[in-house]
Amino acid sequence: MKKLWIAAIALLYLVVPFALQGNSYVLSLTVSALIVAGVAVAWALLGNLGGMVSFGHAAFFGIGAYASALLTLKAGWPVLLALPVAGLCAVVASLVMLPALRLSGPYFALAILAYAHIFRILATELTSVTNGSAGLSSVPRLPTLFGSEALTAITPYLLALTLVLAFCWVYARVRSSDYGIALRAMHDSEDATRVVGVNSVLLKSWMLLLSAFMTGMIGALNVHVINFLDPDYAFNGSWSVLPIVAAIFGGYRTVGGPMIGAVVIYMVDQLVFKSMLSSGHQIILGAVLAAMILCAPDGLLSVFRKRAKEARHAEA
Amino acid sequence: MTELLLQSLYSGALVGGIYALIALGLSLAFGTMRIINLAHGELVLLAAYVAYTVESRLGVNPLVALPIALVVVCACAAIVYFLVARLTRYRELNSLMLTFALGVILTNAMLMIWSSDIRSTGNATLQDAVQIGSVYSMVSELLFFVLSLAVAALLGWWLSRSWYGRAVRAVSSNRDAAKLMGINPARVELVSFLVAGVLATIAGVAIYSSSVISPPLGHALTVKAFIITVLAGVGSVPGVLLAALLLGITEAMTVTLFSSALQELAGMVLFLLVLFVMPNGLFGASRRRG
Repeated sequence: MKKLWIAAIALLYLVVPFALQGNSYVLSLTVSALIVAGVAVAWALLGNLGGMVSFGHAAFFGIGAYASALLTLKAGWPVLLALPVAGLCAVVASLVMLPALRLSGPYFALAILAYAHIFRILATELTSVTNGSAGLSSVPRLPTLFGSEALTAITPYLLALTLVLAFCWVYARVRSSDYGIALRAMHDSEDATRVVGVNSVLLKSWMLLLSAFMTGMIGALNVHVINFLDPDYAFNGSWSVLPIVAAIFGGYRTVGGPMIGAVVIYMVDQLVFKSMLSSGHQIILGAVLAAMILCAPDGLLSVFRKRAKEARHAEA
Repeated sequence: MTELLLQSLYSGALVGGIYALIALGLSLAFGTMRIINLAHGELVLLAAYVAYTVESRLGVNPLVALPIALVVVCACAAIVYFLVARLTRYRELNSLMLTFALGVILTNAMLMIWSSDIRSTGNATLQDAVQIGSVYSMVSELLFFVLSLAVAALLGWWLSRSWYGRAVRAVSSNRDAAKLMGINPARVELVSFLVAGVLATIAGVAIYSSSVISPPLGHALTVKAFIITVLAGVGSVPGVLLAALLLGITEAMTVTLFSSALQELAGMVLFLLVLFVMPNGLFGASRRRG
């Protein structure tokens, strides 16, 4: 299993970028897919470990994007320093949402949706800082890695991949730690978990902050890839919808599921559905999400795993 | 200035009547099944689009579309119910995502059928101005406000007097006990979804007759209805009605005093304030959420 992982990672770093280098369209799609994957992992962390469905991750995504764009454009910060700071800005914004953690289920989901709307309106109205709906253009590009010109084209890919893999690693570590066990126990009975001395609100808060940090950072990375930003793009509802579909499709209770799901869903959506249906191609995303929830709520990865297990049992 | 304020108070209240119908449907289904139907606003919009089609194809008053819209919307509400009823594990989270997905499907289906253009009624009688004292409104606004109040009153009567209405309340307050009393919870849940569909239909035709519609509106209506149920607290019909009027008036006042860009912000801020400061709602019983 471990060898398989190492082989896959080596493939992703050493073979895939050079195979895609010639085709800049597919390369840029892959980068966007990885950006969605980053949000999907962050969403899955909150959804699986925190037990909360968020329809408002676009809020963190947009805040990270704006923070990084403004820091590099107006304050002249280097891009690589602005990325983690943008993540921290998203964390600060998520602090405002902490009261929402007292609420469960639909209340939390809708409260966070309301936050996303509020931030979008603020970004549009605070014209002196954000330049309103006209947006910010010529946001600095990502620096070239190791000063090598040959890597310029694939730098966004390498950075996005590294971030997403790092998120997956963090997700895996948190999940297998003591905190992860406490969080999963909370799923079954929050009251019982509290009785044995787990501070459930505190744990959930950490998950929210961590998820916000990840989403903010990936939003910041995205803005330096596309070099342009406006409120409708930064806080677009699709930053909330796509990661949910991706995470559910791949299986949000697994570590690799959200990432694989994001790449598959995003690529198929852009390459197939978008050319098939000019308007309303999101209908297929909705259908995929509904079908997954109804038939395989644990995601495709779990279905495959179950199949493999059954096959092994059958052999034995 | 006073006249302007009075006018926005009046217009806001009229819109609030329609909001009340949407929110009552949402909270009925929430009561029996303990799920928030995030596709509810899209059902309302569907009724509005059916009214648009009937009016533009047949050239008749949009009110004539009510029975057709009723069939379409109730069929969709029943489909939503049967899909949600199939969920077994992690029902609270999964039902949210499922109804959200159904909302996305409906929005995009409407986008494909009716395109993203803004539609509104061309009926002259409905758009005539009526003056009461010093304030104005359209005929349709006033008509549907009165109709909304009548429907809300009828719903209140139905919930307290009829067998099914009582069954809905019984299942809402304790599903297992209701089952022991010989009530079939599944059927009652279906009934609550159908009644929600009826309310959504009336609200949809009302919105088409007195305002403009476009595909993203459905999602916004769902959010508004949810805000109202939170404001109202755990449900009584008059509570929802008051909260809906409050939201309508707050929105209208924001537009008059500040700017129309901030209209939605006002609702959201009101929602978050109530959620954090008075989690039981303005008129709610002392029951903890969660």
